[in-house]
Amino acid sequence: MTQSNRSLQRAGTWLFYAIVALLLFLWLQPLAAQKSGNTIIQRTIGGVMLGSIYAIMALGIVVINKASGVFNFAHGAMMMIAGYMFFSFFNTQAISLVAAGLLAFSTVVLGFTMGGWRELFIPQRLITALIIGIILTLMMTSGGTEQRWLHALTGAVTGAVLIGLLVERLTIRPLIGQPIFAAVMVTLALNEVIRGITTLIWGSQPKSLLIFAEPHPFLPDQFVRIQTPITIEPTGLLGFLEGPVNIDQPRFMAFLLALATFALFWFFFRFTNIGLAMRATSENQQLAQSVGLRVRVILAITWAIATVMAGVAGLFYAGSSAASSIDTNFHFVILRAFPAVLLGGLESIGGALVGGLIIGLSEEWAKLLFTGDVAENLAPYIVLMIVLILRPEGLFGEKRIERI
Amino acid sequence: MKKLSLLLTIGLLVALFAIPAMAQDDMGLPDWMEHTECTEDLSGMEFTLWHIGDLSGPYAPITQPLVAAFEDAAQWYNEHGGICGATLSFPDPTTIDTGGDQEQTSVIYSRVSSEQPLAIVLYSSDDAELLRDQVAEDQIPVLISAGSIEGLYGGEEDNFDNPGWSFATNPLYVDQLGFFCEWAAENIEDPVIGYISWPSAFGRAAFTPEVIAYCAEQGVEFVETPEYFAPGSDISGQVQNLVDAGANILYTNSLATGPAEIAATVANLGLSDEVTLAGVNWVLDTSVGFLGQTALGADGLPAVNGLLGSMPFAWWTETDLPGVQLLTEQADRNERGPLTRNIAYILGWQTVDLYYEVIVQTGNRVGFENMTGADVKETLENLQFSPLGMVELDFTDGNRDAKMNRIAVLRYLGENGGPAELPDNPPVVVEGPNGPVLVPIVVPLTDYGETPDLRPGQMEMEE
Amino acid sequence: MADHIRPAGIFDTTYEQDIALNRTRTDKFLQYGGLVALLLIPLLTSRSFLGLNILPDYVVVTINTIAIFVIAAQGLNILIGYTGQISLGHAAFMAVGAYSGALLAKGFAIPIGESMLQIGPFSFWIALPLAALFTGLVGLLFGLPSLRVKGFYLAMATLAAQFIIPWIIEHPLQPYTNAPEILQGIPQPTIGPLVFARPIEMYYIIVPLSVLLMLASRNIMRTRVGRAFISIRDNDLAAELLGINVFWYKLQSFFLSSLYAGIAGALIAFERNAITTETFSLETSIALLAMLVIGGAGYPKAALFGVAFVRLLTDVIIPAIGPAFNSTLTALLPFVDGTNIGPSLQPIIFGVALVIFLIFEPRGLAYRWEVLRIAWKIRPFAN
Repeated sequence: MTQSNRSLQRAGTWLFYAIVALLLFLWLQPLAAQKSGNTIIQRTIGGVMLGSIYAIMALGIVVINKASGVFNFAHGAMMMIAGYMFFSFFNTQAISLVAAGLLAFSTVVLGFTMGGWRELFIPQRLITALIIGIILTLMMTSGGTEQRWLHALTGAVTGAVLIGLLVERLTIRPLIGQPIFAAVMVTLALNEVIRGITTLIWGSQPKSLLIFAEPHPFLPDQFVRIQTPITIEPTGLLGFLEGPVNIDQPRFMAFLLALATFALFWFFFRFTNIGLAMRATSENQQLAQSVGLRVRVILAITWAIATVMAGVAGLFYAGSSAASSIDTNFHFVILRAFPAVLLGGLESIGGALVGGLIIGLSEEWAKLLFTGDVAENLAPYIVLMIVLILRPEGLFGEKRIERI
Repeated sequence: MKKLSLLLTIGLLVALFAIPAMAQDDMGLPDWMEHTECTEDLSGMEFTLWHIGDLSGPYAPITQPLVAAFEDAAQWYNEHGGICGATLSFPDPTTIDTGGDQEQTSVIYSRVSSEQPLAIVLYSSDDAELLRDQVAEDQIPVLISAGSIEGLYGGEEDNFDNPGWSFATNPLYVDQLGFFCEWAAENIEDPVIGYISWPSAFGRAAFTPEVIAYCAEQGVEFVETPEYFAPGSDISGQVQNLVDAGANILYTNSLATGPAEIAATVANLGLSDEVTLAGVNWVLDTSVGFLGQTALGADGLPAVNGLLGSMPFAWWTETDLPGVQLLTEQADRNERGPLTRNIAYILGWQTVDLYYEVIVQTGNRVGFENMTGADVKETLENLQFSPLGMVELDFTDGNRDAKMNRIAVLRYLGENGGPAELPDNPPVVVEGPNGPVLVPIVVPLTDYGETPDLRPGQMEMEE
Repeated sequence: MADHIRPAGIFDTTYEQDIALNRTRTDKFLQYGGLVALLLIPLLTSRSFLGLNILPDYVVVTINTIAIFVIAAQGLNILIGYTGQISLGHAAFMAVGAYSGALLAKGFAIPIGESMLQIGPFSFWIALPLAALFTGLVGLLFGLPSLRVKGFYLAMATLAAQFIIPWIIEHPLQPYTNAPEILQGIPQPTIGPLVFARPIEMYYIIVPLSVLLMLASRNIMRTRVGRAFISIRDNDLAAELLGINVFWYKLQSFFLSSLYAGIAGALIAFERNAITTETFSLETSIALLAMLVIGGAGYPKAALFGVAFVRLLTDVIIPAIGPAFNSTLTALLPFVDGTNIGPSLQPIIFGVALVIFLIFEPRGLAYRWEVLRIAWKIRPFAN
């Protein structure tokens, strides 16, 4: 194919995109015109904030996919169970020493035997494991309710790490080298199992996850959701606004925290040794093994980190939602983050952020233009279908070159 | 004299021992219950009241107390002689839980119908609609608390000549909304209703052309497009859309988390002063009162305070009714917590009482040995009865639902008694299973009145 | 394949013998005998005219459901097991079949300008194939992305079908489908004076159809098309180099697979006389995938084994052992509330069973069955 021919084709493609965009604009414009400018601005801000939480969900899936080549359909269930664990540690007045110890030590044992059971018998390691286990237990149980944040964070992170390690050890490791279909099915099965365990332990009544909260005016030791909105007045540079714009305060906090989390993980992958090792492993497992990286350990760490990320995303989403609660249908939220992953590209960390924001925005805008259930279920997938047809590898994904 | 006093003493002693013994014999139901007398003694027999429904999905906050009520009621009725001496029993709840999955409903129904029950209890309109044809096929009457038109009377093509096998103890959802419109027209200035619900059959059941036309006649407008939301999702967009379109009342056909979530969102958006919240009879449930405690409205009380709804039956606070006294006593005895003392617990007992009456009447008419579902249906069709004296039922003339309703409001109990009001009457705080809680109460605003009949084709349309 | 393994001493002397499905007399006896036994089952329940009460009534409904899901799962087997594609939206295609079948049988009118175009009502015997064909075409549409994407991307594109199709049924088509509320009054199949109204009568439509479709799919897999499917599954690049039009055959696979799903969906509609979109949820799609994994994707009997195993597990075994679990678990784990055990047993047992199959028996029950069958056939020799 000649150069001119190719550029002609490219021009044609862009022309096609432009026509589609124009048609879309012409269709949506009259619908949007009925809405006030302020409503549109408010929805846009809402979309960005929601999108940032989807981005964290997408990031967790991308990280796992990069490391072990598995698309984690159980991510929603992991979000849910980590949220429930946070609830338990946050709301229990006196945390049982036995339960906390059991959780801490099983996590530590699994963590220290990532490379094999023998590692536990090295004296130094055994002592380190013991010390870490004791510290974790103390962090989960020490003090009263004023320490609840410490308890809950330690407990939920430890629990999430435990689940990540268990999942990797019991189901992912035995399936290395199996076809892609088996990898899809095993995470779907895990989704069911985790959902069942959550129902078994916590029941199906919704549990309150008030993390962005202030003390309840009547109930001692109880909280209410922060309800004073952040108001942007139409003054000065913002004079073009038709009226004050209200931003939900918990959502805004979740947004800031989500961005911070994203930056933190990005920094982790970019600059820490373990992050570099993880990236190397994701490039080529055999090559990584041959230069002395312990692929099994790195895989286990990846799953643990991704599960923690799932928990963080679940906490932000549930904590900043209107009801500030979590129930056993919570894992369905992830169905809206899946398109974000594919939009950005399965291998791209930056893509997860962009994908998340696009999905968040399209959902909120769809809510503006159509009714709610269209927005929640359909908009992300319509956007996804368009992208899959135009750019099958996602916006920032790698084009795969296959050989026989 | 001595002889006389001795005789008297002996007589007294005999009486002292005999009274409890006689009472033991006559363990029948208390006098205030107006049940038909049995003509046969059925000792040794057993009646199983089958029920199928969602015990673990979105309906769980409502249905778990229902199961508790069945357990308590079975225990109480069996202690008081059972059904003419026969034992009343219920299936193991783990075997009849659908989890909100209609595929499971079909599977469990096929198992339950094999037992050829005399009647079954369903909880959700979705299930009732799904099984409508099958129960007619298998001749099994259905007792349900509240129903949709399709579930009780069938689709439009059926013309209501042959209403189905389901009998509801609450008014139709459309009639409830119509009744609410009558009230709103008088009590709210320029009422415009925005309809926001779950996207299920139950959630959509009340939004019909007949309701819109009837409410327009009363002077109540509707926002044209209703909004639907999946449980647990963010609904600020939906609420904003409705308010932007002019709604000053948000009406919902959802329960438990649904109304609580709407109330919280309205409060978050700072719209508490502009919008009145209302809904179906389920929104007045205590579960809403508990779930709604974590978001405050403009008045400083929880956002669900002031939620309006239909209340077609007696409530726990109406303690002058013997039925309410019995339920309170039994809930105390079985140590039922505040979460269990809700609408569903009341409805559970009512359903059992209704079943008792129906079985006795049917048995007296055709004999207890070869009673069938068709016989039970015939009894139901001619029934005028008030289960536990808490709700008036009249299934004659092809009726399948209750007709009396009233409007009530969800409040919290205040320290000086009555509903809490700030700053004079702060709410009472009690210790719940997971820490302190406020106590939701329901306050009737109107007397019982007849609901309009808003089934398709039943209302005279103004041309 | 086990078809070619036969007891020692039996040789093919003609071409017909070589391609016969049942090579030995024992095979024939078992197959036809099994079929006859299957058809006799409903007569043993209390609802039959014989008035016997040997089997409980729900057996008939259970077998109906199994037979319907076998058809759907076999469709998925064609797509996943034979062609190596993936679909997370199979239940949505069943919904297409169910609604188009129901609407064709009920009849509906499309407004075209001023006039109304009345379509139907058709009898069951016309509505069913039309619905199947229509579902096939819809499946074709959602198979189009398979031209450019595969693996997880294709999974996601089919997941989109699981959201888009129910939405179309519930919104633009709501006046016809009444969705998400229940669509009722679906006419019953009739042949002359015979009316197939109750499950026990529908049994005689569903079960033979299911058997027929299983045989059909088995034969398709022995044709040029089937071999092309398998070559695409094994290595699509190599298949393309061999001159197989990969995209064309992928589309055929999507078409066939959806055709099966459409028949299954339509049968559900006619068996229950009432449908909602909730029956065809994502959970159903996932359950179908799980059935295929447990059955052994890529084996002709996978659908049968998988569906039977999962249905028995969820409909019979779990309810039976539920109460026992209830008492032991509450005793063992003091923090567990008895009321939570019922709803949690199903997902846990189902998920664990699936994981166990994936790890320890990835080729599924059908493979184990073949191994046993071969061992029996070539006895006394070792396998």
